[in-house]
Amino acid sequence: MATDLAPNQVVPPAAEVKQAPPRKPRRPLGRELLRYRWLYVMLLPGLAYFALFKYLPMYGLTIAFKDYVPFLGYSGSQWVGLEHFRELFTGPDFGRLMFNTLLLALLTIVFVFPAPIVVALMLNELRMKVLKRSVQSLIYIPHFLSWTIVASLTYLLFSVDFGVIAGWVHSLAGGPKVDYVAQAGWFRPLIVLQLLWKQTGWGTIIYLAALAGVDSQLYEAARVDGAGRWRQFWHITLPAIQPTIVVMAILTSGHLMDSGFEQIWLMTTSLNRDVADVFDTFVYYVGITQGSFSYATAVGLFKGVIGVVLIFGSNRLAKRLGQRGLF
Amino acid sequence: MTILSRRRLAVAVVSATALLATACSGGGDKEQASSNELTVMAPLFGTAPDPGGELQQAVEKLVGKKLKITWVPNAEYGDKTNVTLASDSIPDLMVVNEKGPSFVKAAEAGAFWDLTGKLDKYPNLKPADEQTAKNTTVNGKTYGIYRVRPLLRSGIVIRKDWLAKLGLQEPKTVDDLYAVAKAFTERDPDGNGKKDTYGLIIPKWPGGYASASPYDVIETWFGAPNGWGERDGKLVPGFDTPEFLTADRWLRKWVSEGLVNPDFATLDSANWNDPFVQGKGGMIIDVNVRATQLLDLFKEKNPKDFDKVTLVGNLAQANGKKYSYPFTGYNMVIAVSKQHIRTEEQLDQVLQALDKLESKEGSILLTNGIEGRNFKADGKYAVPINSDDPKVKAIQNDVDKAFIQLGTRASVGMGAYQLKPNDAASRAMREKFDVLMNEDLKTAVFNPVLGVIAPTSISKGQSLQNIIPDARIKYLSGAITEDQLKAEIKRWYDSGGTQIVKETNDLAAKVGG
Repeated sequence: MATDLAPNQVVPPAAEVKQAPPRKPRRPLGRELLRYRWLYVMLLPGLAYFALFKYLPMYGLTIAFKDYVPFLGYSGSQWVGLEHFRELFTGPDFGRLMFNTLLLALLTIVFVFPAPIVVALMLNELRMKVLKRSVQSLIYIPHFLSWTIVASLTYLLFSVDFGVIAGWVHSLAGGPKVDYVAQAGWFRPLIVLQLLWKQTGWGTIIYLAALAGVDSQLYEAARVDGAGRWRQFWHITLPAIQPTIVVMAILTSGHLMDSGFEQIWLMTTSLNRDVADVFDTFVYYVGITQGSFSYATAVGLFKGVIGVVLIFGSNRLAKRLGQRGLF
Repeated sequence: MTILSRRRLAVAVVSATALLATACSGGGDKEQASSNELTVMAPLFGTAPDPGGELQQAVEKLVGKKLKITWVPNAEYGDKTNVTLASDSIPDLMVVNEKGPSFVKAAEAGAFWDLTGKLDKYPNLKPADEQTAKNTTVNGKTYGIYRVRPLLRSGIVIRKDWLAKLGLQEPKTVDDLYAVAKAFTERDPDGNGKKDTYGLIIPKWPGGYASASPYDVIETWFGAPNGWGERDGKLVPGFDTPEFLTADRWLRKWVSEGLVNPDFATLDSANWNDPFVQGKGGMIIDVNVRATQLLDLFKEKNPKDFDKVTLVGNLAQANGKKYSYPFTGYNMVIAVSKQHIRTEEQLDQVLQALDKLESKEGSILLTNGIEGRNFKADGKYAVPINSDDPKVKAIQNDVDKAFIQLGTRASVGMGAYQLKPNDAASRAMREKFDVLMNEDLKTAVFNPVLGVIAPTSISKGQSLQNIIPDARIKYLSGAITEDQLKAEIKRWYDSGGTQIVKETNDLAAKVGG
């Protein structure tokens, strides 16, 4: 999870150089291991976890290249090579899935990603502690609601028959009633709105923590030099949280292809399926509902590969732009 | 490293390996499950029965085997079936949709017993109806014992008091139905002075094309085939007929005139009754038992004045021609998995046990409960007794919400004894069911290829299945034009439908539908 990363884990380059020990002659690996053996023992459970739950199951990915029939098992099923991938890339669904997934990702980057930064900066400017704290707490709350509840709320507010907000809009603007939850054109705005409402508050935590770490002497010095509020913001606040923003951006890019399965599944109807279908819902539909496990795995694997490419790509981009990358 | 710690490490490594090995082979033990136990998976419609409960004990005593039943909530039954089929623990007896792609694949790979020709020696498993038995085959093979259902259940539930208030007759033709819907929408049937009602209530339909949706029923009235039909000597899908378009053109007019609930594309089918009971809408096209359900809901609301529901059968066209929508006569089958039941002798044992379960005695247990405990027989009726005793309540719950799903001879809507309706209105309604069914069966349009499933629809189903139902909803809502609807039908053909039609024709010729 991107939000698990506390900002203080991002060590500024200067500190790293300072702490680097003076060069010693290299000791053999065996002696190193022996010397820190208890530390390595403590590492074992973590390694075991990754091996058992992250790497071992990857064996199952082989079914993407087989015609998997559960009864015959992994080894008994026929190899079909890249057949499923050929079917995916030449099939009728691929273009639509790719477009929908990427467009949702783009909307997420443009509207949802910056929102916590803006809110965090605004909260940072508040001088009344009580107000700041209470606003902060209030905007966290939606994060703890499940998507099922968010979707139900959306239906309650926007449904054409009994939706509260839909009713207001109708009585204010007149005209025919608009079916926001069913119409294809309203699907993406509603998804973005839901994401903003649910995730913005939670996302501010990490930026507020970064902002709290800014040395107040910097502000004092700037004020002495005659810098106004805007100048302080531009030359001190923003550069201070820039590394955090970059790290968050890289982590987000890895999740770009994850379009939030639950959220989209719950908001899909017959009328908006053309714009709603994304890779995640398609994998569920094909694999679990239709029972085509191999094809679903192939789609999922393709999605995973794109995710890896994106995260490496954005990391490299960050480095090229003169920022510290994630790795 | 000292000797001691090296030994310690060795022990740790060995035990870790051993742990891993046992973890991986964990599934192996189940294969020696005693032949005295049967594992079962079946749908559940409420709270799961207690495995040690009175009813389960009675059932186990009857069949002479211990039962280990996995009850799966009905709403997620399809998904859970697919996941179970992908696991290494397939239950011995599984209630399953025998046409589902994953089941067909598993059965063809040999995961389930082919029961073709094997059932005739068991008196209670032998198909009671040849046509239904044929419908449950998969391209000529029987993979399960079908769970019987009434052969025709479609009907229109209408607000009786609204009809009376507006001085209308019960509809007989589709034109009558339109007139009723129009009046329910525009002539203020609830008398509150506001135009806040609509004629027909349709929910977001969970099934695909030809899944007994209100749309499918209406299309049949207009003469479209039920799923598949013969045109010029060739089998074609029902949506590729002019009648399909005529019916949906007609229904589209309803939507545009506001005679249907505006949220028909999104209304949760679990809340289908709400607008009817709240007096927002006046008609529902669905299975006949919805009429008694609604009657009960009105009774709950006002025990003194609740006789507000009437039921009408399938409708004729304006020119008097009538086509009715029948059901398949069954709902899913009970299949026998080969995972633990390996030999013919073991299969025979299991089928014998199942034969006992579906006997007259077993059917009573499954559909009514324990005689003298939770009901007493009164002619053809079952009368509930001791219904205040929590233990008896548990038996009744286990019957109604769970065990009734294991019945193949007697089942939902066809209990060994019928439940005695406790008021005149409900009794009259119940009696109407059979009258309407027998009347409509004379004009029923059957799907000629229920026993056939095209290989392409299994391998490419994911891209094809939503095209038609989605396009239909879009057309009805006005989001696309008739030309665009036709283009979507063409897209179905281009994405693999052409093969499906060809395969279906070939298979039907081979196995004889």
